[in-house]
Amino acid sequence: MSNINFYLLEYAKNYILRHKNKNIFIVIVFTLLVALLCTLFFVSTTVEYEMESRLENQPDIVVQNYKAGRLSTIKSGMVDKLLEIDGVSWATQRVYGKYRFSKEGASLNLVGVDPFEEQENPFIAKLLEKNQLNENDIFVSQHVKELMHKAYYDDYFNFIKPDGKLLRLNIAKSFDVGDRKYLEDLVLVNKDKLREIFGYKADEGSDIALGVANKNELAFIRTKIALMLPNAKVTSKDDLKVAYKNLFNYDSGVFLSVFIVAIFTFFIIIYDKANGLSSEEKREIGILKAVGWRVEDVLHAKFYEAFIISFFSFFVGFLLAFIYVFVLKAPYIGDIFMHDQLFDIKNFNLNVHLEFSYILLIFLLSVPVYIAATLIPSWRVATLDADEVMR
Amino acid sequence: MIRLENVSKIYDENIKALQDINLTFKEGELIVLKGVSGSGKSTILSLIAGLSKPTRGEVIVDGKKISKLPDHFASSYRRDNIGIVFQRYNLIPTLSVTENVLLPLFPLNLPRDEMNLKAQKVLKQFSIDHKAGVIVKNLSGGEQQRVAIARANINNPKIILADEPTANLDEKLSLEFIEILAEMKSHNRTIVVATHDPLFFDLDIVDRMITIEHGKML
Repeated sequence: MSNINFYLLEYAKNYILRHKNKNIFIVIVFTLLVALLCTLFFVSTTVEYEMESRLENQPDIVVQNYKAGRLSTIKSGMVDKLLEIDGVSWATQRVYGKYRFSKEGASLNLVGVDPFEEQENPFIAKLLEKNQLNENDIFVSQHVKELMHKAYYDDYFNFIKPDGKLLRLNIAKSFDVGDRKYLEDLVLVNKDKLREIFGYKADEGSDIALGVANKNELAFIRTKIALMLPNAKVTSKDDLKVAYKNLFNYDSGVFLSVFIVAIFTFFIIIYDKANGLSSEEKREIGILKAVGWRVEDVLHAKFYEAFIISFFSFFVGFLLAFIYVFVLKAPYIGDIFMHDQLFDIKNFNLNVHLEFSYILLIFLLSVPVYIAATLIPSWRVATLDADEVMR
Repeated sequence: MIRLENVSKIYDENIKALQDINLTFKEGELIVLKGVSGSGKSTILSLIAGLSKPTRGEVIVDGKKISKLPDHFASSYRRDNIGIVFQRYNLIPTLSVTENVLLPLFPLNLPRDEMNLKAQKVLKQFSIDHKAGVIVKNLSGGEQQRVAIARANINNPKIILADEPTANLDEKLSLEFIEILAEMKSHNRTIVVATHDPLFFDLDIVDRMITIEHGKML
């Protein structure tokens, strides 16, 4: 602390205020650029992080049945066939799908569970560990509970089956999905009851999820299944990763373009600043030299001035981006990451996930660069004879 | 105390501001350099202050070759030994009177109490203490000059250099300035005034008058 010269700091602060029009302009541009860059990085890193963590919860391979080029149900007998393949450690028929709750204009995400089967989704597994789902019960998320409540369904819900008949199930429990926004339409239903709701036969399901013991064999086993079931669509976790990555890289490319434009704009300002001082600024440095300031004293004061402006702008820009992305959920800019089929940013919670390397990169590209752009022309003037500067 | 030995100063455009000047100023002397605008008077002050370096020759103050001092030491020398009153005052118009007066001391990072004490003393000495908090641009010409004089004296310098100090003042204020000079001389300061104001030419307090013309001593 003893190295801080508060008189020079005060002088720098006064200098900024004395040239407030110019400095307000710089602060606004600087802040907006930092906010823009931070927004790009916050959104892209958070989406990437969330994508990766979601992929972690996916089964290794998913087998779906196609008939006449359309997605169809898959028979439970297929599970035994798949388990015969060497390397497949487990396989389970899944029953799930969307249910249109037309009264509230909502689409519920129905997932069938069997109390005797192991759950692959850790969230559902944890929920069922503590609570038993009976045959005629459903567990609904808080969000779904509120929707049902609006339609006066508090204790039970009537599902309309494809034949038009009603199936009444009790709302036995509601659960909080926390920050897993993509689970907010979730309804857990007994597997057999869900088959009834969807009009499936007793041995039919939506798809088969399976696990592979050796992850290196994933591609090989995927090929084996594809050869065994020519009508099926076999998707491995790696396929999903590639699809996610492709989309992410495309979106990041858009972001990169914006990043380059922003940096370019910033450097134009910096270039202009580094290219010289106004005659008034030069004269002031001359006066300081004339009254006995050394070159390092002038640079010391200029450093404070540049630091105050750049750090303040960086901090405010960072804060604005943080609020925009993590509080307001990145409206407009975040829409770049909207893809209905694979992932949709609106279902992303955009949890705070900061990559410090990126923040450091933005800091290093802005604050020290601005400080240098302030110091260099001041140093040029301060090293001249004071007499020459004041003339 | 101050010696200029064969000093010449040529500016970039081959303008010969001074040619072979030899001068000596003794301690406590008040010397008036007179001459028309552009004669080279201000250049002599600039060289003594270490604000610029001679093209040839030496400027020696208290045995130190000022003209050979690196910039770093020239600034320290100026801060510790020289008080300058410029023709256009060279104050920072948007700072207060106190801030302008304390400007030379900012880099020293002295305790706040000591700074305030120095400012109060010097502002009182030059009768500008009642304007201590006023922004300089709101002062009259005479008041601004008092601030400039107070700033020149903040570090109790041995040498006071005044460049056309009365050029922007009316006669009354010019006479007031001369009284201030007399007071500073009574504190054994060496004072060099560059001026073409006739008010200075018949003053008792002036020890010597040196005429400069076309960069040469007459």
